[in-house]
Amino acid sequence: MYPAHIESYYRPTTVAEALAAITRQPEGDSMFLAGGQSLMQAIKSRMVRPTSIVDLQSVAELRGIDQANGLRIGAMTRYVEIAEYEQFPAAYAALRDAAERVGDRQVRNRGTIGGSVCWNYVASCLPSVVLALNGTMSLASADGSIRDVKAKDFIIAPLETARREDEILLCVSWPKPPPKTGSAYKKWGLVTDALPVVGMCVSISLDDLGKCRTAQVAVAGLADGAQIADAGGAALIGSAGDEASISAAMNDVADSVETHSDHWADASYREQLIKRLGVEVTLRAFARARR
Amino acid sequence: MQTINVKVNGTTYQESVPIRMLLVDFIREVVGLTGTHVSCTYEGVCGACTIHLNGEAVKSCMLLAVQADGHEITTVEGLANDKELSPLQKAFNEQHGLQCGFCTAGVLMNMTEFLAKNPNPSDDEIRHGLIGNLCRCTGYVHIVNAVRAAAKSIAN
Ligand SMILES: Cc1cc2nc3c(=O)[nH]c(=O)nc-3n(C[C@H](O)[C@H](O)[C@H](O)COP(=O)(O)OP(=O)(O)OC[C@H]3O[C@@H](n4cnc5c(N)ncnc54)[C@H](O)[C@@H]3O)c2cc1C
Ligand code: FES
Ligand code: FES
Repeated sequence: MYPAHIESYYRPTTVAEALAAITRQPEGDSMFLAGGQSLMQAIKSRMVRPTSIVDLQSVAELRGIDQANGLRIGAMTRYVEIAEYEQFPAAYAALRDAAERVGDRQVRNRGTIGGSVCWNYVASCLPSVVLALNGTMSLASADGSIRDVKAKDFIIAPLETARREDEILLCVSWPKPPPKTGSAYKKWGLVTDALPVVGMCVSISLDDLGKCRTAQVAVAGLADGAQIADAGGAALIGSAGDEASISAAMNDVADSVETHSDHWADASYREQLIKRLGVEVTLRAFARARR
Repeated sequence: MQTINVKVNGTTYQESVPIRMLLVDFIREVVGLTGTHVSCTYEGVCGACTIHLNGEAVKSCMLLAVQADGHEITTVEGLANDKELSPLQKAFNEQHGLQCGFCTAGVLMNMTEFLAKNPNPSDDEIRHGLIGNLCRCTGYVHIVNAVRAAAKSIAN
């Protein structure tokens, strides 16, 4: 595992400079480098061989968490910053659940939300969270235009997103949270904080009577990567947050998605994980929505 | 090749390096400080290569040396103040926190930053903090003891 020859290295300080640098090379030869916690592995194993690296570490406008107008998390915001941010509204608390359990301290000190969703690894945490929370990805290109893409249109398949190679992800954002909304995420991996064999993210909004008004469920770790489970969201509507109705909804989730067997877990074990983790995170999402 | 300026343990090095050079190799081969180890063929999973980049614990096999241009690095050689071992280093000695020592530099660097952020950690927090460092010898019990002892000695 060692990188092949790399021709050039740029460290732009603005988004415009970063986009100019990425378009200077023929398409595919140049890659953005964020925390490097996925890309460096791919470069070392020579799965990708960029001739040019555009390091985003000094682009200040890509960093930080801001709640001036809804919630905006800059693409270069690291897991450690999300894990230590104490002001997430209940609606977006799943972001913190996920970030504080990614890998290990050293990975969280480098890895970014932008890198995670742009890489969209088959077994990863943040892609499922942005799906369940219906985040918006803002992408900028060299001609100065910016387009907003909803998570469900952005996350396409493992290692595949709606981002074009010459686009930079600026941020992931959300509107001001609707009232009585809560979310939660939890995963199970082979060792503590490992990549998810299964991860579950649930977002719930309650009506005035405390019944579920809208719900969104996403599953991480499927053969097709992170996926929304529409059946789960639909089955939770009307639930008062009791374990029986949540259990029934999570059975629907397990039935509706296709689980696979690999050296980590077989398909039926994955189904059990979906049900068990699903009930646990849905109860937590309800509790957070009630607060 | 690219010329970089990196401060390692207080000394600035200006060197010309290939862009593909990993930071851990810059530290070991160019600067000549071999306390930082490689134990998983740069796969990013063992933590033996953990250093501080601007005070934060990171795996130095996961960075290119050029990424450290303009930044400050501390390696295990920079933990002791003159010949005076840091409280964590002393605790590792007194509590037998190491056996072969191959993982130790990385554990010390990670736990030094951990203790700065969590001065009064529970055992669970210490164990959670250690996830990124594999130790094949100790079974971690003495490492946890050493980190706990260091937290106490720093507090006093
Ligand atoms: C030991 C270890 C354990 C891990 N455990 C987990 C885990 O438990 N859960 C989990 O989800 N992940 C885990 N990961 C992966 C980790 O989350 C990565 O940090 C993350 O997938 C990538 O983020 P990054 O900032 O490091 O991006 P990089 O690796 O730098 O980049 C990833 C990709 O995104 C592109 N990119 C990055 N930023 C932008 C941007 N702003 N605009 C456009 N393109 C961009 C890059 O060009 C590259 O293609 C682990 C990794 C390691 C090494
Ligand atoms: S050598 Fe860097 S993590 Fe193993
Ligand atoms: S002391 Fe030998 S690997 Fe940790």
